[in-house]
Amino acid sequence: MPKLIFRLFLSFVLFVSVFIFIQQHLKPDSFGKYGHYRANAIDDNKMRTSYFKSENKCKECHQDIYDLKDNDVHYGVRCESCHSPKINASVECKEMPPKVEGTLKFCGQCHAMNLGRLKKGVPQLDFKEHKQGQNCIECHNPHAPWELKEN
Amino acid sequence: MEEHYQHLYEALSQVDGYIYPNEIDLHWGLMIVLYPYITGLVAGAFILASLERVFNIKALKPTYGLALLTALAFLFVATLPLVSHLQHPLRSYEIFMTPNPTSAMAIFGFVYLWYLMVVLLLEIWFDYRRDFVIWSKTSTGFKKLFYKVITLGINETDEKSAKLDDKLGYYITVLGIPSAFLLHGYVGFIFGSIKANPWWSTVLMPVIFLFSAMVSGIALVMVVYMVVCWVRKVKIDMLCLDTIAKYLFYILIIDFTLESLDQIHRLYEAEESFDIIKVLVGGKLNITLIYIQVILGTLIPLSVIGFFQIYKPAEKIRKFAYFFIGIIVLIGVFFMRWNVVIGGQLFSKSLSGFTSFNAVYSGMEGYLMAAVWLILPLFILTFLLWLMPPWKKVTSHE
Amino acid sequence: MGTKRKLENRRKFFQTSATLIGGTLMYSLIKPFEAIAETKEKDTEDDKANLPLWGMGVDLESCIGCGKCVEACKIENDVPKEPFYFRTWVEQYTVKNDGEVKIESPNGGIGGLKQSVPDEDIFKSFMVPKLCNHCTKAPCVQACPVGATFISPDGVVLVDETYCIGCSYCIQACPYGARYMNPITKVADKCTFCYHRITKGLQPACVEVCPTDARIFGNLKDKKSDLVKFLQKNPTQVLKPHLNTHSRVFYNGLSSEVK
Repeated sequence: MPKLIFRLFLSFVLFVSVFIFIQQHLKPDSFGKYGHYRANAIDDNKMRTSYFKSENKCKECHQDIYDLKDNDVHYGVRCESCHSPKINASVECKEMPPKVEGTLKFCGQCHAMNLGRLKKGVPQLDFKEHKQGQNCIECHNPHAPWELKEN
Repeated sequence: MEEHYQHLYEALSQVDGYIYPNEIDLHWGLMIVLYPYITGLVAGAFILASLERVFNIKALKPTYGLALLTALAFLFVATLPLVSHLQHPLRSYEIFMTPNPTSAMAIFGFVYLWYLMVVLLLEIWFDYRRDFVIWSKTSTGFKKLFYKVITLGINETDEKSAKLDDKLGYYITVLGIPSAFLLHGYVGFIFGSIKANPWWSTVLMPVIFLFSAMVSGIALVMVVYMVVCWVRKVKIDMLCLDTIAKYLFYILIIDFTLESLDQIHRLYEAEESFDIIKVLVGGKLNITLIYIQVILGTLIPLSVIGFFQIYKPAEKIRKFAYFFIGIIVLIGVFFMRWNVVIGGQLFSKSLSGFTSFNAVYSGMEGYLMAAVWLILPLFILTFLLWLMPPWKKVTSHE
Repeated sequence: MGTKRKLENRRKFFQTSATLIGGTLMYSLIKPFEAIAETKEKDTEDDKANLPLWGMGVDLESCIGCGKCVEACKIENDVPKEPFYFRTWVEQYTVKNDGEVKIESPNGGIGGLKQSVPDEDIFKSFMVPKLCNHCTKAPCVQACPVGATFISPDGVVLVDETYCIGCSYCIQACPYGARYMNPITKVADKCTFCYHRITKGLQPACVEVCPTDARIFGNLKDKKSDLVKFLQKNPTQVLKPHLNTHSRVFYNGLSSEVK
């Protein structure tokens, strides 16, 4: 084989070997275990911090409110639906209690009139007519909405 | 960051119809328009060179070395727009380490390396090798060092080695033609395989990209040849120039046919995406597609060169015409890439609305960056032409 | 004599270097296959059968477009608050009497969707929550050049944030517009079914807060789950079925106007 071709071929083989060698070293360890990805990424995704605790956690301290809610029309609405957390789930919510204001705007998020709201069970109100200017919680207990407050 | 959000709020206010909320920002911008453009120039210039080497069109001989060096100059720059675009450019080595076998984009690294090293560099080396040996004896300084090193210690200039160089160079060029097709075809496939985007998803996309690449490459070599001759104050070989224009004409016909076929097919079938695409072409893409890409970039060059095939006017007129045609073809093909990349992102995948492209001047995706990536290869080409002038070659292949 | 030894030495040199290089090459070629040969037999068969296959059902007859799911998702997953990045959002469709379909999703539906067309012009109107469909044949996973996005063994399409190079190819490939480029982490991002929650037995945040139970999350392999019961009871559809993505988000009451 002429010197020329031999040398070129040799350099090509050398290059490919070095390339494969580097590739094996730079490829992350867990790569390829379950598929063409870094298997440890599954654990990375599991490790995120949570903010929402879920209702069972609320029940630990607020069982009374839960029972009240359970007996009225908001039984299907979980606590954090209205009380969205302000802090990390590993921190006690006493640090920053998820207080909400029962304003027309807040409750209107679910209860404002909208022809697109098909579900019959959710009362829809025209807030221009229904008690305009007041806040919902002045008459309604948010955890037991049909228990109206006496004025 | 604030500036970025400012642009997005602006775009939000300009939304026409309904777009999915995540679609406000165009994810592929100017840099992704540039990348196919530059690799297209490379593939096209190489095909022109191979017309002479493999298909023995002797009239093209004056541009053989020039075409190869042009291809090389642009190939060096080809990856840079991509690196500008990536959000994590330092992780780009991952494409070489763990390329996903199902992803068209993953081929990029290997096709690029293969084409650069095995095809282009080797072919140039085989063609210039004996000249390097001869030049290393007569030059001084940097050039002498470069020539000595590049010969890799093989100093034969006899008849036998010449024949071997020729044979090997020929085989490499033959190998290079499908490699050039792959280099640019896979870019077309990157777009053509996205079923989510009806403007991109067509079987013809790789072929259209390929032929428009050949058009742009040939036009580029034509313009570069004229400029180089003018700088060197030598007479232009009119037979060569006429032949380049002739092949530009032929390939432009094929390219135009393919692109028209794609549009006619869309028009005829008028399936789900047609309504929004019709509005797109008539509205936001109207100027860049109909006027610049089709009329300026395709129809005018076709008519002029076509006319020349029937009646050849005086040399001076032809020279001026070719130069003008070369420039507008290059502009036209740039806008073809623009219309595909940007156009495909202007309308929503909900097929119900449009977002807008907000031009930026500075930053990694701006016009300035694009200008740099387009001008840099010309500087590299000048350097290569100083280092390895094709017109100073003493030897040549069969 | 001298030349013969020179040739001898030269030949020996080439032989040894060729062996060394050949050996390295052989070793490097075998090493990747080693990894595959080892693990494949041990874990896969057993574990796969025990793993859940996650999916979601969306009941369009129940969704009231309150937007609480969108808000909760943004809080739970640190999604930037600007109106350009959503892991989930709710669309409001208003079909007018003249046949025109108006689709809107201002800020993804956060704050609740408001009626924007007068009553008398409305033919019908409904709300459609959207999210990543966690397709079994995900085009985004197919497109990723480096393997930074993938389907986990339990069927959730996830992103490897330390590996993504930010090329946005997956965002282009998703037919549902579910992905976005996170401006802070500069990697592709999307709904993960709250993977960090579901692997601890909790519900995704959007399911947790939905007041009308319009979102039903569960294990498709568990015949007793709410999700499977939902699928059995209702005629469900997926979005863009003609693209054959094998989406695992099933809609009940999907009207033909939905894009």
